[in-house]
Amino acid sequence: MEDDKKEFAGTGLHPGFPSPAQDYMNPCIDLNKELVRHPAATFYGRVVSESMADAGVNEGDILVIDRSIEPSDGDLAVCFVDGEFSLRRIDSAQQDFSSFSVWGVVTYTIKKLYRK
Amino acid sequence: MYALVDCNNFFVSCERVFRPQLEGKAVVVLSNNDGCVVSRSNESKALGIRMCTPFYQVKHLVDKGVLVACSSNYTLYGDLSDRVMSILADTVPKIEIYSIDEAFLVLDGICPDEIPQMCRDLIYKIRKWVGIPVSIGVAPTKTLAKIASHFAKNYKGYKGLCMMETEEKRLKALSLTPIKDVWGIGRKLSAKMESCGIVTAFDFTCRPMDWVRKNFMLHGVRTWLELQGEVCVEEERPDKRKSICTSRSFAEMITDEKSLAAQVSDFAAKCARKLRQEGTAASQITVFLYTNRFREDLGQYYPSRSLRLPVAVNSTQEIVSAAVSLLHDIFRPGYQYKKAGVIVDDIVDGDSVQMPIFGYDIAERRKNDRISRIMDSINGREKNLVRLATQRDCLYSDGIRSDYRSRRYSTSLDDIIEIH
Repeated sequence: MEDDKKEFAGTGLHPGFPSPAQDYMNPCIDLNKELVRHPAATFYGRVVSESMADAGVNEGDILVIDRSIEPSDGDLAVCFVDGEFSLRRIDSAQQDFSSFSVWGVVTYTIKKLYRK
Repeated sequence: MYALVDCNNFFVSCERVFRPQLEGKAVVVLSNNDGCVVSRSNESKALGIRMCTPFYQVKHLVDKGVLVACSSNYTLYGDLSDRVMSILADTVPKIEIYSIDEAFLVLDGICPDEIPQMCRDLIYKIRKWVGIPVSIGVAPTKTLAKIASHFAKNYKGYKGLCMMETEEKRLKALSLTPIKDVWGIGRKLSAKMESCGIVTAFDFTCRPMDWVRKNFMLHGVRTWLELQGEVCVEEERPDKRKSICTSRSFAEMITDEKSLAAQVSDFAAKCARKLRQEGTAASQITVFLYTNRFREDLGQYYPSRSLRLPVAVNSTQEIVSAAVSLLHDIFRPGYQYKKAGVIVDDIVDGDSVQMPIFGYDIAERRKNDRISRIMDSINGREKNLVRLATQRDCLYSDGIRSDYRSRRYSTSLDDIIEIH
């Protein structure tokens, strides 16, 4: 992230002198770019149950799901089990992968905190 | 060398990405208005359901629970297509998108030894990242690459990749390929060939070039040479593409979707008419909206969205219905819109419109063409006497049947998958 530093500068008009900060301006923080590393493989899903509340994921949260990632132990993943999508913590020692398939790995949770 | 990457049963595969329970089941996707079958899973093919079968003829199978039918969801298919194409474009220096579910890769400059592994990696990556199964055919010409991709798709042993790199393989493939399945040989041409005793692609290549030129003109000679491995089908020239844009600023700002839909329909109808006047057709449609940027006190929003259609179109109905559904996707209440517009691009000659190999509702299309022609003749040069209802103030999509449409899982936040 070293070369991705964000600089902010006012946009007021200064006739005569170009702003010395102008060369450092970025349009804005683009969360699409920050949160989505593989756009072709990224989908979103909405949590509809409290089954993963222990993991800090609650009903109503939006998940950023990256299908390009190979799941490894400890990852939170969207799996397809018994005809529906559900959240699972990957634990290769415990799980029998023949009974369900991993659809994608969860990379971020988007939680709405402001209740209006 | 060229590779043709072809998405298997593309529309059905798109539905399955978000409904994995459909894996292994007989599934069909229906054309606009739930008219007829345009995409089939292998299981539906095994049931004997043919391409373009009218839906009412197989509806009893749906009622019995043997078959799952989906209305077409072009927003979803278009988005997944873009994802597949972007993976291809990241892998090789040059790709040519041929249709919503097919693209040619130009493999010049890639070491021949690396091609098979690169293709296998692509098959894996597209399946894993996007969820879509693809087949790849590699050969010295585009026409041969198409044939190779058929083999890759239809014979399990290939595991999705057919390399036609030796003379022996080429001859074998040609002798197994009916002439009517060769790219560029339409129904009329294949009937003529069959009447000359040509049954397979191999038979065709055995005829002398002079005979081919005399009977099938330059077009036939091109196909003939391509089948021998000599490149004749030129690469697409992107600079030939152009676009038509119709847009307008409104006298008074518009806030509701219905009024915007009436405007956008009008713009779309104008674009369609222009295409018909030029004898061309477009395969990409874009709708954009502007709020008033001079009113800093108001919320600002400048959305735009494009839809790639499975075939190039120029009928008023098809372009208007695409534009209205795009508008529906980008419209957000609470803004005052100052300007809207419709852009059609990826323009091709109307008579060289490529029929997609997954089939198309030809009857529906002819009907649309006829309605458009009648509208043009009544409307004459400038006037707008006859319009579609949506050009007034009701939503066109209200009248379209799509009883089995899936959600816009990948493009609309209200439609994303639910996770338990």
